[in-house]
Amino acid sequence: MRTISLARVVSLSCAAMIAGAAFAADDGLKLPAGFSATVVQEGLGAGRHLDVAANGDIYLASRKGLNAMRDTNGDGKADEVKAFGDVAGTEVRIFKDWLYVSDDVGVYRYPLKKGELAPGGAREAVVSQFPKERQHADKTFALDPKGTLYVNVGAPSNSCQEKDRQEGSLGRNPCPLLEKYGGVWVFDGTKLNQTPATGRRFATGMRNAVAIEWNAGQNALFAVIHGRDSIDTLFPALYNAADNATRQGEEFHQIVDGGNYGWPYTFFDTKLGHRVVAPEYGGDAKKVPEAGKYPDPLVAFPAHWAPNDLLFYAGKSFPAKYQGGAFIAFHGSWNRAPEPQAGYKVVFQPMKNGKPDGAYEVFADGFAGDMPDNSPNNARYRPVGLAVGPDGSLFVADSQKGRIWRISYGKK
Amino acid sequence: MKTSRMRVSAALTCVATLAALAAGVTASDTQPANAQANLAQPGQQLYARHCLSCHQADGGGVPNMQPPIKGGTWVMGEPRALALFVMTGGFDSGSRKDSDNGNVMPPFRQLPDADLAQILSYIRAKFGNGGTPVTAAQVAQTRASLPPSQ
Repeated sequence: MRTISLARVVSLSCAAMIAGAAFAADDGLKLPAGFSATVVQEGLGAGRHLDVAANGDIYLASRKGLNAMRDTNGDGKADEVKAFGDVAGTEVRIFKDWLYVSDDVGVYRYPLKKGELAPGGAREAVVSQFPKERQHADKTFALDPKGTLYVNVGAPSNSCQEKDRQEGSLGRNPCPLLEKYGGVWVFDGTKLNQTPATGRRFATGMRNAVAIEWNAGQNALFAVIHGRDSIDTLFPALYNAADNATRQGEEFHQIVDGGNYGWPYTFFDTKLGHRVVAPEYGGDAKKVPEAGKYPDPLVAFPAHWAPNDLLFYAGKSFPAKYQGGAFIAFHGSWNRAPEPQAGYKVVFQPMKNGKPDGAYEVFADGFAGDMPDNSPNNARYRPVGLAVGPDGSLFVADSQKGRIWRISYGKK
Repeated sequence: MKTSRMRVSAALTCVATLAALAAGVTASDTQPANAQANLAQPGQQLYARHCLSCHQADGGGVPNMQPPIKGGTWVMGEPRALALFVMTGGFDSGSRKDSDNGNVMPPFRQLPDADLAQILSYIRAKFGNGGTPVTAAQVAQTRASLPPSQ
């Protein structure tokens, strides 16, 4: 892994701005030249992740429940929509003849039968009995081709303080939450009725890796991790509001067996261009942790952008530069306030052999609109989920109104 | 979890105290509008310092994270009940199963009476709530009712 210098951070920002200048307005979204977006569906509530079957059927997870939808007349809009199941959560993935879904406390699957839009079979529990939490509770997951199930178990905490989110409270050391949270746990995704105790901790030091994805081309797991909040209000002598709005990178990592990615003891400071010790653990806004203990991120995205889905593009219809690269859906910030909110966009990170191959580009922007009062509540849309359809189109789900876009290249 | 049980216990204590306070509201708790304006102004900076990042500049909160306080029943209600709520912190999942919000408000008991009074007066005046100001004396009175170990 390589260190990201300050110059690199600046260059990334500049590249993003330049890419933005080339955008053309399209259905309210700004997309690169040659791309267009159509609205597939709207109104199903707060969307989360989605997946698209080989026949084009779309499955959307939401906090209200699961929906299956189909375009029966080829006009690009889903005209048949069926709610199904009893799972309200974030993740949904098609794997072989199954639809895997999750809520805050488990991963489940439904049989996908030919010709059946909404699964009619009984739900099976793959893993259940994760502790019920409210903070960072979504059990997003990835599956590798063998059916190994990698579950993100987010930490129910900001920075493992003795008193969560209280000014000046120091960090618990060692952080006991890491025994059951703050990492990736691995299971056999083809077996039923497992519990967290029967899984194995695969990686740790990850505050909340909502955006987790298996990269088939690299045969490896990757994630973009939500960085910590509130360095200014918790440690006002060390950081101000502008620091909090900009310095804690959203870290993109390859996740390896036994890896430790530094939460809660450290965070990647994008202003300094290196990892620093968190203020709860003796950090002074510049102190560097023990060398080699935690890897630097492949890319440190701007603070608080909230990476909520990751997808490695393997479709056939986008230009060659997109092949094997990473799309990341950023939900957009809340903890940048009072500074301007940011990050309500889909970003493309070029990749080569599992490493970044140049600066990231803003791929789809314009989701949030004017966002009056600088409030996330007033965002028009917030991108949260990504999937690729059988023709290579990119589908994007929104959490404000449940809108789903299909982004295609070279056709209207 | 032990911590969770303690919080539930603390929350229940709060609810009981709030009910007692609410029953004791008198006409002397209300103040003229000009006093409200005077109190609200310095509260803006304190709100920005301690509250804004979660509840946002417009008091609208963040979906699934922090609740809105704009027009909220706590904000509009009895001043000492609001003061007690803010000093003891929000309710966790053990007592608010109907809430979708992921974060629990930390207690702000460490703030001085005058600062709390200014913040509370500000949010009651600012977010369309039309609530009366909260005085430092009311905050002090509420603080005196708190269990010492909380």
